Amino acid sequence: MNTIVTALGTARARRLRAALTVLLATAAAVGAPFYFAPFQVFQLTMVLLYAVALAGLNLLVGFGGQISLGHGAFFAAGAYTAAVMLDRYGTGHLATLPAAAAGCFLLGLGFGVPALRLRGLYLALVTLSFAVFLPPLLKRLEPVTGGSMGLTVDKLRPPAWSGLAEDQWTYFVVLAVTTVALLCARNLLRSRAGRALRAVRDNESAAEVMGVRLSLHKTLAFAWSAMFAGVAGCLYTWVIGFVSPDSFGFVLSITLLAGLVVGGLASLYGPLLGAAFVMYVPSVSQDLSEAAPGVVFGLLIITVMFVAPTGLAGLPGRVLAAVARRRPRATAAPPGPAPGTGSAPEAEPGPEAGSGALTTLTPPGPAVVDAEPVGAPPRTEKE
Amino acid sequence: MSGTATGRTEAPASEEPDFLEVRGLHAGYGQARVLQGLDFSVARGEVCAILGPNGAGKTTTLRALSGMVRGRGSVTLNGTELLGRSPEQAARLGVAHVPEGRGTFNDLTVEENLRIGAHLRTGRRNRAAVTADLERIYDYFPALRRRSRQAAGSLSGGEQQMIAIGRALMLRPALLLLDEPSLGLAPLVTRELFGIVRAVNEEERTTVVVVEQNAQLALDIAHRAHVLEAGRLVLSGPAREIREDGQVAEVYLGVSVRSRKAG
Repeated sequence: MNTIVTALGTARARRLRAALTVLLATAAAVGAPFYFAPFQVFQLTMVLLYAVALAGLNLLVGFGGQISLGHGAFFAAGAYTAAVMLDRYGTGHLATLPAAAAGCFLLGLGFGVPALRLRGLYLALVTLSFAVFLPPLLKRLEPVTGGSMGLTVDKLRPPAWSGLAEDQWTYFVVLAVTTVALLCARNLLRSRAGRALRAVRDNESAAEVMGVRLSLHKTLAFAWSAMFAGVAGCLYTWVIGFVSPDSFGFVLSITLLAGLVVGGLASLYGPLLGAAFVMYVPSVSQDLSEAAPGVVFGLLIITVMFVAPTGLAGLPGRVLAAVARRRPRATAAPPGPAPGTGSAPEAEPGPEAGSGALTTLTPPGPAVVDAEPVGAPPRTEKE
Repeated sequence: MSGTATGRTEAPASEEPDFLEVRGLHAGYGQARVLQGLDFSVARGEVCAILGPNGAGKTTTLRALSGMVRGRGSVTLNGTELLGRSPEQAARLGVAHVPEGRGTFNDLTVEENLRIGAHLRTGRRNRAAVTADLERIYDYFPALRRRSRQAAGSLSGGEQQMIAIGRALMLRPALLLLDEPSLGLAPLVTRELFGIVRAVNEEERTTVVVVEQNAQLALDIAHRAHVLEAGRLVLSGPAREIREDGQVAEVYLGVSVRSRKAG
């Protein structure tokens, strides 16, 4: 009886804390564009859209136990779908989103077929080949894609009634899409199909004897994952207003995978942390070392993986466990874990919490904006 | 659980003595031919034990029944041929295989593990039935109810074996295949598990084929038993006879089956 009461208590407390966290995160997310300078708002927007791509990759790698070094290709496919629709057919921005999502879903289904026969390194190599052959292909299809010159399309324009600046409006649109996408990913994982997917990752043959069709669920994992990457690509086109084959080199694919691992595999908010890492760390390393930002970026990845092998998302848990181990049991309760548990989940969902600290390190120099508005991947590629 | 030492006397009266019928079953892995032509049948509602030393082909027999390895010959369940089907198709036909080593989905919660067992039972109409079955499983295994939201990988070996059996029952199986349920478990836990298997068999009339190294335990819950050696059946009969023929068992099983007639 007593234990039931305490269990109810903790369940209620957890729900309360979760509600509080969501509230704070929402407040921070909504308030951010009014507080930060336009360039910083742009960076936050990029973090959000990368988070969508990473959430998709997380479905495949973190929860599906497969690997893809070619997700940049799906990202690019989504971006080009949006750009071509806007450029050639003059459809509105809104119409490009379902088209990119559906197109990439089908593309993922097709490319998921090799995943049925291959695993581990072999699958990594095959998926890497998607990423490698895509930019030359985009250059060849010049009549549609604009070749190596790329396509310049309209960015999102704030409607007059909103009274928002362009960067703020863009931020809110991307925030809305990202929120929906992340919730979809979460619900997908809790559904029957998501459960089957995770079961296949944990124990393929045991899942199969329970009647889970491996081929179906492995291919679907690819398709969903590609769909999210495509949505992220579509958002990219909306935000940047320019696509070119060189924006989507294979380094993008590798950066996405690295970001996911750093953020935390199979974690629900790992993609947000990973996206912040992908967005901010290259520019931070640029500041630390003019000559070799790639080296600094690499060293930072190594450091994170050494300190937090389960990714940044797993760090609070590890720290708490370490604190609990250090303290004798009796005194552990009052001062230690309480602020720790309080602050940890608050830091999770809002990208601002992580980025706020990091933005102080990033000089919002206009030179940087002009040089590379794209964010992480191209910078490392320049090396 | 109680009275396991008495063994089971009568096979249940069944109109279907050939519910599961195995004829000339050959199976193996690549060059290694493990099963060299098995013939046996299991009546509906019966518990059948397959005994034998290591490497005799016990596990391979179960794997051939559930489609995890290819077999030649014929295996029919209620008249439907099972050979040549994938494990997923076999599951659709009502074959639930509890694999050796339990096959726990470590990162899923206990409840999610159980729900995977009901993966094929989709649709609105089944939803309530699945929830009811979940409750039924928790009634069989109260330890699982308390831990329903925990990651299954964090549970003890015995509890994981309970999950594996519960998960298989969620399929509402026509045929339950148990592969070494006692592996790595404490004797007390094993006894409890076998008691539950027996109860399930009695209450739900589920046909069970159980493979065991621990002949004593398996014979306690089985109606019939088959002894395998080097891929062939060397002895078949009612479980009670095999139990009591201590000498035969000792020769073929390589373990001493203590008969407990005294008392």
